[in-house]
Amino acid sequence: MVRYFANIWHAFWTPLVGMALTWRHLFMPSVTVQYPDERWELPPNSRMQLFVNMDDCIGCAQCERACPVQCISIETVKALPEDVKETSTGHKIRLHTTKFDIDMAKCCYCNLCTIPCPTECIYMTPSFEDATPDRFDLVYHFTQISPQHAAELAEKARRAEEEEAAPKAARPKRGIAAAVAAEGD
Amino acid sequence: MSPVLPQSVGNEYRMSYERQGDDLVLQMGPQHPSTHGVLRLELVLDGELVKHVRPHIGYLHRCFEKHAEAMTYPQVIPYADRMDYLAAMSMELGYVLTVEKLMGLTELPERLQYIRVIIAELQRIASHLLAIGTFGLDVGAITPFLWCFRDREKILDLFEWASGARLLYNYLWIGGVMQDLPAGFASKALEFLDYFEPRVQELNDLLSFNKIFIERTANVGVLSPEVAISYGIGGPNLRGSGVKWDLRKEEPYGIYERFDFDVPVGTGEFGTLGAAWDRYIVRVREMLESIKILRQALDQLPGGDPNEAMPRRIRPPAGDAYVRTESPRGEIGFYIISDGSENPYRCKGRSPCFTAISAINAIGSGVLVADLVAIVGSLDIVLGEIDR
Repeated sequence: MVRYFANIWHAFWTPLVGMALTWRHLFMPSVTVQYPDERWELPPNSRMQLFVNMDDCIGCAQCERACPVQCISIETVKALPEDVKETSTGHKIRLHTTKFDIDMAKCCYCNLCTIPCPTECIYMTPSFEDATPDRFDLVYHFTQISPQHAAELAEKARRAEEEEAAPKAARPKRGIAAAVAAEGD
Repeated sequence: MSPVLPQSVGNEYRMSYERQGDDLVLQMGPQHPSTHGVLRLELVLDGELVKHVRPHIGYLHRCFEKHAEAMTYPQVIPYADRMDYLAAMSMELGYVLTVEKLMGLTELPERLQYIRVIIAELQRIASHLLAIGTFGLDVGAITPFLWCFRDREKILDLFEWASGARLLYNYLWIGGVMQDLPAGFASKALEFLDYFEPRVQELNDLLSFNKIFIERTANVGVLSPEVAISYGIGGPNLRGSGVKWDLRKEEPYGIYERFDFDVPVGTGEFGTLGAAWDRYIVRVREMLESIKILRQALDQLPGGDPNEAMPRRIRPPAGDAYVRTESPRGEIGFYIISDGSENPYRCKGRSPCFTAISAINAIGSGVLVADLVAIVGSLDIVLGEIDR
């Protein structure tokens, strides 16, 4: 009998306790952020969008190897000795990076690519509003070298290599190399 | 000559339960708000009574174990994150401890050990908040859900401040962390704990001891201790059945033996021992215990560089290692075989949610469909971890 009335009392009282709480919360400051108008300040180390500072990139492709999802693709051309520039960190840029594409659609935002970079030129930025209607717009091309210029550079590098190789070829060959060359003739 | 396969193999398998008379086979899920992801439950119903439950999993299969074999050891960590995406730090901790055991890395900086405990316990609170909130939502209480998410958000803010990410952190690394905790993290975290501790009391007033909620959950989904142990269930689900088993106490990893905390167990205050309400209240009380651990750890947090012992090349010697840790959902274990190369030869994850969902028929046969929703909610499963 006591239990019966206790049950009724609890069923009446405990929801009231909860309701009192919700009423109290009604007069507390709101925690909701009206997003496009109000914004949170994100911490500077937020991992949102990858960015590459191409002035400092030496084309070592360490980020490409570190990436677990292979979203970075890099192609390089050897620079001629007179074209070698220096980065702001004092590293020599011995390679022209003719292609530096990051497919942000594949990126898993793990930050593994930014750690091995010797010049710290690849990093995550707090910009997060990069949605696009087309997923191919999410492939970011970072290189500043146009395809035509890249072809020219490749041609230049090839010629330089040939010129370097030419004196070696002129030297008399010995052993198997000589035999092969003789057979070719 | 190949053996003759019986026709309709699948149907034979599916119809293995006793289906009689007007029994109805109902597919609950994969798109169902109460299955916490993409779980499909095949129910055999007699009217509204559930006669048999068979879980079908695999909708979130990500090939973690096979994929890990193609990755180097550090590259697996982002994938381990995605196992239990609601407690990603705990997954990282389990994986990282396994690789460290494999490498024989035991001399770790004090600060790193403390950071790991702080991060893991904050993650436990965040994960339990989500479990409690969604459980309330499952049985029809919307307000606690919003309040839990409000508080969880503050923990995610702390994590974002430390690691830069909000859900999948890749923060705990083998022998180190991605970056040291920012200056002032301890005071901010203590501030959060001061804010959060009264909120647990509010949650109790609002939901835990609400008569409607108790009536809805206290005698539902009873998991007896014997059944729980025989299924290998761990974590709050096991402790809700009154079994005092917490790996942080039984088999302390890291520096857990230094902290003073209790292991809350279900007592069957409002009904049968091991009911959904017991599993729920264990989570609430565990948050208070986590607060206790956090206060001690944050007070003792030493200075120094957490990354001084971080190996530059991670190439464990050939061998194997198994480490189990207490994740918010139970006992998470990683078994890694190394052949001495940069990639794991085999990486196996032992999932606590998988064992929990395997017991769903033992818990959920003979109940009403609406109660099954409460049972699935009280087990607090994450499909990313079940399917891996």
